[in-house]
Amino acid sequence: MVKIITAAVKELVLLKRDRAGLLVLFLMPALLVIVITLVQENVMELTGQKKTLVLFLDLDEGDLGKSLRQQLETGQLEVVVWDKGQKTKEDLQAAVAEGEYQVGVIIPAGSSRKIQEETALLFQKDRQPEKNSPASQVPVLVYFDPGVMPGLRSGLSAQLQMALEAIAMKTKMEKLDRELHSFLDSLGGAEDLAPLPSAGLSELTQRPLFILEDNRDSPGPTEAPPYNPVQQNVPAWALFGMFFTSIPIAGAILQERKSGIWIRLTSLPVSHLLFFAGKVVAYLGVCLCQFLLIGLIGTFLFPYLGLPAFTVSGNLAAVLVIVFFSSLAACGFGIFLGMVCGSYEQASTLGSTAVVAAAALGGVMVPVYAMPQMMQRLSIVSPLNWGLTAFHDLLVRGNSLSAVWDDLGRLMLFFLLTIFLAFRLARPRR
Amino acid sequence: MKTNESPLAEKGQGEALFARSLVKQYKNTAKPALNKLDLQVQKGEFFGLLGANGAGKTTAISVLSGFFPPDSGTVFIMGMDYRRQTNKIRQILGLVPQEIALYDNLTAQENLLFFGRLYGFRGKKLQSRVEQCLEFAQLTEQATRLVSTYSGGMKRRLNLATGLLHVPQILFLDEPTVGIDTQSRHLIHKQLAQLNREGTTIIYTTHYMEEAQELCSRIGIIDGGRIIEQGTPAELLQQSGSRNLEDLFLHLTGKQLRDA
Repeated sequence: MVKIITAAVKELVLLKRDRAGLLVLFLMPALLVIVITLVQENVMELTGQKKTLVLFLDLDEGDLGKSLRQQLETGQLEVVVWDKGQKTKEDLQAAVAEGEYQVGVIIPAGSSRKIQEETALLFQKDRQPEKNSPASQVPVLVYFDPGVMPGLRSGLSAQLQMALEAIAMKTKMEKLDRELHSFLDSLGGAEDLAPLPSAGLSELTQRPLFILEDNRDSPGPTEAPPYNPVQQNVPAWALFGMFFTSIPIAGAILQERKSGIWIRLTSLPVSHLLFFAGKVVAYLGVCLCQFLLIGLIGTFLFPYLGLPAFTVSGNLAAVLVIVFFSSLAACGFGIFLGMVCGSYEQASTLGSTAVVAAAALGGVMVPVYAMPQMMQRLSIVSPLNWGLTAFHDLLVRGNSLSAVWDDLGRLMLFFLLTIFLAFRLARPRR
Repeated sequence: MKTNESPLAEKGQGEALFARSLVKQYKNTAKPALNKLDLQVQKGEFFGLLGANGAGKTTAISVLSGFFPPDSGTVFIMGMDYRRQTNKIRQILGLVPQEIALYDNLTAQENLLFFGRLYGFRGKKLQSRVEQCLEFAQLTEQATRLVSTYSGGMKRRLNLATGLLHVPQILFLDEPTVGIDTQSRHLIHKQLAQLNREGTTIIYTTHYMEEAQELCSRIGIIDGGRIIEQGTPAELLQQSGSRNLEDLFLHLTGKQLRDA
């Protein structure tokens, strides 16, 4: 044990004196998590994962605008109302085009009156069906921010169309209700003969028969905050940073192998496993510090940048267990890299390519569910996928540590395999 | 070839080093680096392995010190078989490689403390050994400087001192004075001679004739991966009639360049 600690202390002293290495290990993942999270926050606005801002300009004199606004506010929309006395159609178009709002809606003047007129026309006895041409429909003007994603655009259009159809249906039912009562009155006050209850047709058609119970946000075994890019990115880029420590680990081993140090170490009455263990112990500490740094950035800096704070929801011990197993896998990979490569250039190229590829496959940059089928199948071989899945199960899905033992087991197996291969490579070869 | 050989049947029990029929061939090479090399070194001897570049000196040291095993052949160190008693042998064997085997970003003291702890030294005994090694290398005043700031001679002296931390009974040195100043070389020679007088068996490779003649009680000339001649310097010169070791060496190995 003393010899392992001796080897670990030596690694930490060497690392402390390598200022460039320290910058790469700590500054790089910190910058990445800040930049990527800010970028993704903007993407979420454009894809509708955040409440969409709707700019509303009612130039009408009637109730249509109020009805439409009420319909829109029941969804994931935040309606901002402009005063028609101070703003014009051109002002709204400019605001949306500049990206201040994702969508703008204008109710033209006279729309409420035109709706009543068109509805009355529908109930005329001598109405010809073909007279209900597009020219007789009431226009509602919609403007979209050019940067809005097609998916969000379609969703918003559909939502507006549904809201307008609901208003149209209500208007028609109210008219039908009046016509029906008028007809019954003309029969000589035979209300008791009316086939309908006393409630109006409009009220009847609007009463919903179904209710959609959305269980999306119901908590798992432990409380977890709602999904946001911070909860995704902080663990993801911390993992990325941890696996990037494999390159300085490999570099340290290659420096020993390429100098006489490896010869001297081999002549000592000590196994190579001990030297590997020293490196693992030292870099476990480094990985833990990396995670703590990024976690602190997420918790304390992000709110100042307008982002939600990162939270572990009382799961700190479980989070540290995942950090431990992920760090082991990263250290094992670095040691293997140091033994299999012939030069620092090889190790840095191979290592960085492997880590970036594993990160991409693992869902660090793009969620796994958003990848093509084939890539989703490949993602199961990425150690970063195992670590990230464990973090998500804990921090986003609200599961407990017992739900992630399979992922932790894979990380441990990966560590053992890489150390075994490195040890085989370290043994004097014939 | 005339050799001074102990009876093979004893398999190295009385010798510091007994090597028999060592063969080692690297991948993608036409000739073996060691070609059935036989070598015996008595306890307390200062044995020099003299050879040109590519003769097999470093490979011989690597195999004899256990850095990698031979393709075939046996090695006994102080009567112990390397294949079976590796850790015991490593406790009594010291190695000073040709390359500097020190961490540049550690001080001399830190390097010695690190390797000393790996040898199992602790506390006052460790401190004492570190101080002795620094004194041996005459680096006591510079002990807290990073090795990266040392001159070539200082690094070589510290390299040697580190190989002596655990007071080895047998010490392998692979060209320990390459590229250093005369003063440092002189100091190293003086220290090694003192060590040998105190009982340490030394196997020393070099391609400097005068160094071998000055230091070694017995010399083996290696060429093509095998010992082609060995004996005391006086015996070698007398038998061959050469004026000096260089003439003898060139007579035995030829004047052609040896590119490995």
